[in-house]
Amino acid sequence: MTRLRILAVDDDPVTLALFSKRLKAPEYLLDTETDGNLAIERMKQRCYDVIITDLIMPGSIDGIAVLHAAKTIQPFAEVLLLTAHASVESAVEAMRQGAFDYLQKPINFDELFHLLDRISDLKRLHQDSVELRQAMDTTERRASETIGRLEIEISRMSDILEKIKSCLLHDDTSAEEKVAQMTVLLNACKDPPA
Amino acid sequence: MQKITAEEIHQLAGYIRSISGISLNQSKAYLFETRLGPLLAREGLSSYGELYRKAKSGSDKRLENHIIDAISTNETLFFRDRGPFDLLQHKILPDLLSRRNANASKILSTPLRIWSAACSTGQEVYSIAIVLKELLGDLKNYKLKLLGTDISDAAIAQASRGCYSKFEIERGLPREKLVKYFTPQSCGWKVKDALRAMATFRRLNLMLPFAALGKFDIIFCRNVAIYFDPNDRKKLFERLADVLVPDGCLIIGSTESLTGVCNRFTPKRHLNSVYYQLKTPPAVPGQSKLTGNRPHRKSLPAIAK
Repeated sequence: MTRLRILAVDDDPVTLALFSKRLKAPEYLLDTETDGNLAIERMKQRCYDVIITDLIMPGSIDGIAVLHAAKTIQPFAEVLLLTAHASVESAVEAMRQGAFDYLQKPINFDELFHLLDRISDLKRLHQDSVELRQAMDTTERRASETIGRLEIEISRMSDILEKIKSCLLHDDTSAEEKVAQMTVLLNACKDPPA
Repeated sequence: MQKITAEEIHQLAGYIRSISGISLNQSKAYLFETRLGPLLAREGLSSYGELYRKAKSGSDKRLENHIIDAISTNETLFFRDRGPFDLLQHKILPDLLSRRNANASKILSTPLRIWSAACSTGQEVYSIAIVLKELLGDLKNYKLKLLGTDISDAAIAQASRGCYSKFEIERGLPREKLVKYFTPQSCGWKVKDALRAMATFRRLNLMLPFAALGKFDIIFCRNVAIYFDPNDRKKLFERLADVLVPDGCLIIGSTESLTGVCNRFTPKRHLNSVYYQLKTPPAVPGQSKLTGNRPHRKSLPAIAK
């Protein structure tokens, strides 16, 4: 089972307590912060799959600032915004700036669980594709090393063949000299450059 | 998903080859079904045969584009296979620039032209742009032209928008580069203007003449010729050789080979990657040994090491 690592940020301790209570299931690993600055510090230390943040918080760091910080520090974490005043504009603006979705307060936890399921599915699919990609990359790398080596080797052999041809067609050279020169050329075939 | 018949594959494969060069055969039934099936539904067509007849009649030009968009493989990612980009950054660009710098006035008058010949949704072009930025710093001192072309309208439109979903962006792009060169948007991530401004995109069918594009210093033509039949592949690389400057470089897919395809290039190896340069033309053209005009030399050419 893949556990979702979640950071919940809200200046209201009651909301955070509610998160702690409802996200107790083993598929979630929850951290909470009451302040945007502290949340940002935490993001620098630990990797999260989901960051849930209140949109309006006191101080210089509001939900949009947390969203921006998350996109910089942890670009692959999904951000969910909580908004008490159901303003469509602020939610749309947050989505435009990269939020995964938003929830209106009071929080409908069924809705939250549904969003977390979607994020979880996406992460799993993504993980699968990363692993497939890595497997493909390994195969491709091995194949390309072989092809690259052969490509260079064939080109070297063609050059030598060209020289053998020009040696054979060289009128002024005696038969003995041709044999000597071709022996040198043929020996070169055997020793691929390091 | 509607099943495709052998006859329909035959018809559509011929049609697709004629409009795009992409060579498909009976073994690719799943590809026709998964790629063109949704198009049938969208266009309200009852069968693949009907799709073929309608597209072939030319009555609806959109249909041709839709078929190309659906059938062309847009499998790509940022810095797909690091090799070529390391090659560009550590070998090809430094070599080219130092040769150009030997004639300082030339660098100002002659732009360095780079072409991504099948750029798909643009990741390769922006990866090249990132390499240029990282290597050269202030690009004001350089004249650079970066062109991306692809046969698919839809791919070119996305390349031009420079918008990528989280999944497209995550693949291959290191985080520090993502944050430096992209801004988060509702679409996912959008290429910053400075990077976008470096590139030009246009639709181009590689099967049709492209000499009018001019000459290029570096050409990326990766993983596209693999979809062509051997004859079309040969013609393509011959024509690429025609538009490469004498000391320019061609980069093909890491599992592709030009052996038996085009003998105008010579492979060069740097670290673990191979790139191609034009063979130096003979000193006196026309005096080939086959014509009987043999050069009279006492000494034989040195053996290549």
